[in-house]
Amino acid sequence: MKVIDIAIKDMTRSFRSTFALIFMFGVPLLMTGMFYFMFGGAAKSDQGFSVPVTKVVVANLDTGGPGFEAASSAFPVGTKAHSLGDMILTTLKDKSFANLMEISVVDNAEAARAQVDGQKAGVALIIPADFSQRFSDLNGQATIELYQDPTLTIGPSIVRSILSQFMDSMSGARLAVSVVSKQTGSTDPAVIGQVVSQYMASIPTGDQSAALLDLHAPAASKPAANTVATIVSFIMAGMTIFYAFFTGTSTAQSIIREDEDGTLPRLFTTPTTQTTILGGKFLAVGLTVVVQMTVLLILGRLIFGIQWGSLLPLVLVTLSTVMAAATFGIFMMSLLKTSKQAGAVLGGVLTVTGMLGMIKIFTMGSGSSPAWADLASSFVPQGWAVRGLSQVMNSASLNEVLLSCAALLGMSVVFFLVGVLRFQKRFA
Amino acid sequence: MEKAIDVQNLHKAFGEQKAVQGVSFEVQPGEIFSLLGPNGAGKTTTISMLSCLLHPDEGDAFILGHSIRKDAMGVKSVLGVVPQEIAMYEDMSARENLTFWGKMYGLRGAALKTRVNEVLEVIGLTDRAKEFIKKYSGGMKRRVNIGIALLHKPKVIYMDEPTVGIDPQSRRSILDSVLKLKQEGTTVLYTTHYMEEAQELSDHIAIMDQGKMIASGTHAELVKIVGAMDRIRVTINSESAKVLETWKTVTGVTKVSAEDGTLTILADDSNRVLPRLFESAATRAVRITSVDIQEPNLESVFLHLTGRALRD
Repeated sequence: MKVIDIAIKDMTRSFRSTFALIFMFGVPLLMTGMFYFMFGGAAKSDQGFSVPVTKVVVANLDTGGPGFEAASSAFPVGTKAHSLGDMILTTLKDKSFANLMEISVVDNAEAARAQVDGQKAGVALIIPADFSQRFSDLNGQATIELYQDPTLTIGPSIVRSILSQFMDSMSGARLAVSVVSKQTGSTDPAVIGQVVSQYMASIPTGDQSAALLDLHAPAASKPAANTVATIVSFIMAGMTIFYAFFTGTSTAQSIIREDEDGTLPRLFTTPTTQTTILGGKFLAVGLTVVVQMTVLLILGRLIFGIQWGSLLPLVLVTLSTVMAAATFGIFMMSLLKTSKQAGAVLGGVLTVTGMLGMIKIFTMGSGSSPAWADLASSFVPQGWAVRGLSQVMNSASLNEVLLSCAALLGMSVVFFLVGVLRFQKRFA
Repeated sequence: MEKAIDVQNLHKAFGEQKAVQGVSFEVQPGEIFSLLGPNGAGKTTTISMLSCLLHPDEGDAFILGHSIRKDAMGVKSVLGVVPQEIAMYEDMSARENLTFWGKMYGLRGAALKTRVNEVLEVIGLTDRAKEFIKKYSGGMKRRVNIGIALLHKPKVIYMDEPTVGIDPQSRRSILDSVLKLKQEGTTVLYTTHYMEEAQELSDHIAIMDQGKMIASGTHAELVKIVGAMDRIRVTINSESAKVLETWKTVTGVTKVSAEDGTLTILADDSNRVLPRLFESAATRAVRITSVDIQEPNLESVFLHLTGRALRD
């Protein structure tokens, strides 16, 4: 009973400390939140990575080429085009780009540039009057002016990418014209127009425009997975584990602090055994980390929509992590004598072991972590905790997380025994 | 009748430093027994051994018959300890502190609640029981510090310098509460370096210095050690070193000690000695600015036994 009284007292004190609460809950959520908002809150839905819509103003001055005309049946979006400029404009206006661009049309180049200068548009696309003409001329060079707001990067890049892909496909038509001209020796505009139309007709119809730009990540093992949401999820997992170990060590530090404050010696003057007193303090460390991890997992789900995986493996990994974090704290504090030393440990050892443990998360972007990093992370409990939680998040079964849990519990036993023996010796 | 405290030849050393050397004394039930001595005399180490916080290197002590070596839990169950430092949780209220410590002494339920209320009444903090300790004054904290030791109505209480660093009003309140404990039949082992406290409170006093007990007895018995000698405190306008050695050789002077420009002199007859002191000072161009002659007291005893003032 006294064990529980001591644990409740310690927990009450922990949860009354603003500093402790900030590091238990505030910092991990804040760190994850930073990444979450950095990626535009993408983890909220399964819609993929979203970018801001770019306002594009088009000045289509193209008067068409000699006899140039693409039939609606040949044109990907089913619209009759009198010039190559028309085709570009129609393509950009396609609904599949509606979440990327907002297209408006003006009569002249100056008006288009003025809209960019006045920050009413991000990009101005100026198609010159002789664009189709030059395109039709096998020796000519057809150019489009892309006038952009210099402060923007993503939007203009997307417009440029769409145009490039469109022009690539149009170059095929030009190549066809070139071949026909060389073979027949004809430069008759009617023939050239016919070739272009036939080439366009040969391009597969349907949702062709979608192929012009693919913003989706390369296919993963689970096509529904949202890459950014996944990154945010693993960052939250990493933060939860890092700060669980921080809390374990910080809470265990109360043993040293109470010794310095005189309350621990006073406890030893009461008819309470040393085992009960230390047991109560150890229990407080474990329960505090349980509360912290549970709250962070729930808030991670509610705030960031993180899918933590199946309940049973999650509970097993969480409890194993709690054991490791609590006993690691007890072990670390048993090696120290003053709270001044403990401050250095909190800042140094936890950061180093935490970083080692989270190498897998840091190297997510590069696809795989180096072998030495994997090896190094397996020497610290944080590494196994990250491994276990990552497995659960990747839909691992109970059996698949057993190794990680066993490693965590094995380390916990060693930490606990060493810590208890050292504390018992100190207070004997 | 069973002795409340029976200390037998306690020894404790920390490395080369011998903190307690062969301390023995007895305290009868219902007595206030003071350990008087300067800082570093070994009082707190003795209390720590009697509280089972430190293991003696040699010797034993019995608290109401429980050996500190063989029956630590028995000792702790009959004992209340008021440590020198304020040992409680500053981020908890007085009521929360008392409730927690009451549980540590085995109190539960309604009995605990009743006792917490009683102790709050005794220490005069009922109205502010819900406030965090960190908001209390030093004196209020000291009172809670004492209150914790009273929770389980112990038959023996150790108080280790409970009046250090507090205002006169709180000090008076604490001294009164110690006397009240005696009236209720509680045995009190009290350590202090304030002579006046020991003199006022104690039935018996043991004087400690450098880990040893150099004298013990009632106040009257101890004062007899210095006989009818007068204690003269002399303040001079110069460094005490100028006259210290000379005055030790003045006829009629038994002991001389110096502290911050004030010299304390034990003399057989102050009327005869004082003119010689003035004369000696004058020849060294030292001016005496004040003289205070006191009847023999515990400070005189300590000076007589050690050659040093109690606060040296």
